[in-house]
Amino acid sequence: MTRSLSEVEATAKKAARGAGFSWGMAEEAAKATRWLCAKGIDGCAELSRLLSIGSHEINRAASLDAGVWQSASGPLCSISLGASMVDHAHDLNADGWQVKSVVCPALLVPFAADIAAKSGQSIAVLGPDFSAVVSGEGLSVNAPMPNSSASLKVQITHKTQLPNVSFTRADPAETAWSVMQNFAHRTYAPATEASRLKGAGAGTTDND
Amino acid sequence: MTTPQPHITRRPPSEVMRLERLGSLHQCRMSFMRTLLRRLAGDQWQFTRPHFDIDATGVGYAVYTAAGPERSYSLVAFAHDLPDEKRSDRVIADAWDATFTLFDGVPDSQDIARLKQNVPLQEAGRISEKELSLSRANRSVRLWDYVVSELASGQQPDTDVIDQVGYLMRTTAVYGSGKFGAADRETISNREELFPPFQVEMLSVFLTRKFVLDLVQHMAWAKGGETAVKLDRSIAQRLGIGNSTGLGMAPFVINHPVLFNNWIKAREEAIYRVRSVVSAVADDTEIFRDRLKRSTISVARWTSKHPVQMRKIDALKHDLVLLSARVDEYDFQTAYPWDNLMNWAAHQLSIEGQELLASLILEPYPDLVDPLVSCMADTTSTVARIDGSMTVGDVKTLLEKSFAWAFDLDWQAPQNCARAWYVSEEKLEPRLGERFEEPIAAYEQPLAPARDAAHAFHALKEWPETSKVAAFLQSHPEHRHTIRRAQLCEVAPYGEVQDNTISSDVLPIDMLRAKLSFFGATHFDPRSDRWIRICMFAGAPYPESLSESNSDDWIYPELAQ
Repeated sequence: MTRSLSEVEATAKKAARGAGFSWGMAEEAAKATRWLCAKGIDGCAELSRLLSIGSHEINRAASLDAGVWQSASGPLCSISLGASMVDHAHDLNADGWQVKSVVCPALLVPFAADIAAKSGQSIAVLGPDFSAVVSGEGLSVNAPMPNSSASLKVQITHKTQLPNVSFTRADPAETAWSVMQNFAHRTYAPATEASRLKGAGAGTTDND
Repeated sequence: MTTPQPHITRRPPSEVMRLERLGSLHQCRMSFMRTLLRRLAGDQWQFTRPHFDIDATGVGYAVYTAAGPERSYSLVAFAHDLPDEKRSDRVIADAWDATFTLFDGVPDSQDIARLKQNVPLQEAGRISEKELSLSRANRSVRLWDYVVSELASGQQPDTDVIDQVGYLMRTTAVYGSGKFGAADRETISNREELFPPFQVEMLSVFLTRKFVLDLVQHMAWAKGGETAVKLDRSIAQRLGIGNSTGLGMAPFVINHPVLFNNWIKAREEAIYRVRSVVSAVADDTEIFRDRLKRSTISVARWTSKHPVQMRKIDALKHDLVLLSARVDEYDFQTAYPWDNLMNWAAHQLSIEGQELLASLILEPYPDLVDPLVSCMADTTSTVARIDGSMTVGDVKTLLEKSFAWAFDLDWQAPQNCARAWYVSEEKLEPRLGERFEEPIAAYEQPLAPARDAAHAFHALKEWPETSKVAAFLQSHPEHRHTIRRAQLCEVAPYGEVQDNTISSDVLPIDMLRAKLSFFGATHFDPRSDRWIRICMFAGAPYPESLSESNSDDWIYPELAQ
């Protein structure tokens, strides 16, 4: 079943929040998921995989030291890393950045696109056996993105002629969509009769 | 003689963005209903009813097509036979008297068959990118059977009875922008006719009003046969479409700071432009006097049983007496007459009256005001990128702009954080609960920007002024949404409600009123502190009689002959 991109974004935001991200980071996750879907990549599958990894197996605190992004322990979460990278876009120079161990690297690509838009340059995300290059709206990916990558390089590139494909609908795998909905469900407060009446302000008749 | 140059300025966000004022806004010529009808008339849109297949029990479907210079849109309406006990305006309802979608183009039989399987289910169904909106409406129990019976027996309904309600059906939700599978706004917003905000939804309601008129007439013919008469045109014109709006609209205002900024800023710019008019010619002042008189009639017909609104209506009636007397003796030949009048109002009128005047002074100046409608859309489709290179000091300055008043508030004190916004598991309805009485804090939505700004500001104070906010965010991801909002303030200074949205005395209806006033609603009737009823398109021409001469001032009742 196809979904509108705003449905993808809204569900992804709630799912990320349900998985424990801060609201601001959940917005980043939602934006990244939508961006991938708009490029014909199943962002929902990527996000659902990321959210399904236990929080103890993944590190959401990325630190940048001498051009290297790393965590105190464990692989980095690509959403937290991507958002931090965009925050530090002003620090990206010709040497590029090294990344130590990251999960779901496909989710880094939308953030690389943000850096590209911000800097006006093309940005490459290079793994051991894949590469993705983004420039504004353009995107080129040379191989399927892996579930995780033990090392990665993010750098400015001179490649500028990139295909600009955009989709107006998402067609997420149903299993991925269910995973997102399950996480989203955690943000909903269980209804009580009191809240049903009081919370939405009924009380006066609505059938007249 | 030289004219002194006054220092006319735009009203600052600190004055405009208070809930008390936002909850007193009135429609103006930039409202989305009026924008739509001016365009439909100006571009000579044509209206047809290719299908009306409804039986004597009122069950079936109809299609209404609006054809413009480049594209057509069709309202597909399904009429149902709803038992009285199932009728509810709450989001938790699962059946309605009528259900609708606005189709992009003209639907074929396959489209109709697909929509018939889905539109009556509303949230439980799916629509596609061929559809632009999804909505439903319920009959007014007070009016529907009465009007059908009167017409069926050969009588016209009593206008006093009609005016007590104002509509035959009220919509209880009009969903657009990608909801339930509909087309995303981004896919249609480059069309000139849909670029201003909420044009899809307004067109849907405009066509719904025509459907409701046809349906009530159809039911009267079915019941009365040859005895039945046609509803008098002037009575039909008084009827609008009701709307019940609940808490869902309040989060919308907070969740779309750029869009909301664009609405408020455009109206403030319009007010500023008119206040800057050096001298008003007689034609302009005549238009103003006419709209003022007609507003007085409209306000006289405005009733509510909500104590807060009753007080406000009383104050507004008094304001109108003062304002009318002032205008009667007013010398419009003085320099900057509108600015002088606004300055007088700021000291003499209630906020309701001040805002009504601010809307009314725009009426004579379509050339100054109407082009600003094109600034009211939000062209950014997704959340804004944070500028991590901004210094902590600069971020603090931005936070202070909207929320300095909130920094010293005791955010632990129960009265300051008594409420929490949450989404219910049941039908995903936005609700406002009592933080200290219900187990909801863990589910709180980020709809308290003032409190969050205060917390972020205090955390930022621990950081060097010159350090970059990127580093702060690495340590404090919980403040990320607040920093994003603060940076948006630079481009969207009217984007933040400058009040406490979780205090024990917050009135969510203030936020609903602000949004509905931009739709063009009148006669706001709060039914509690969290939901509100309005009437849309009352007095408007129906599609077949729409023309440039009647497309705009219909919102003001006609003066008695």
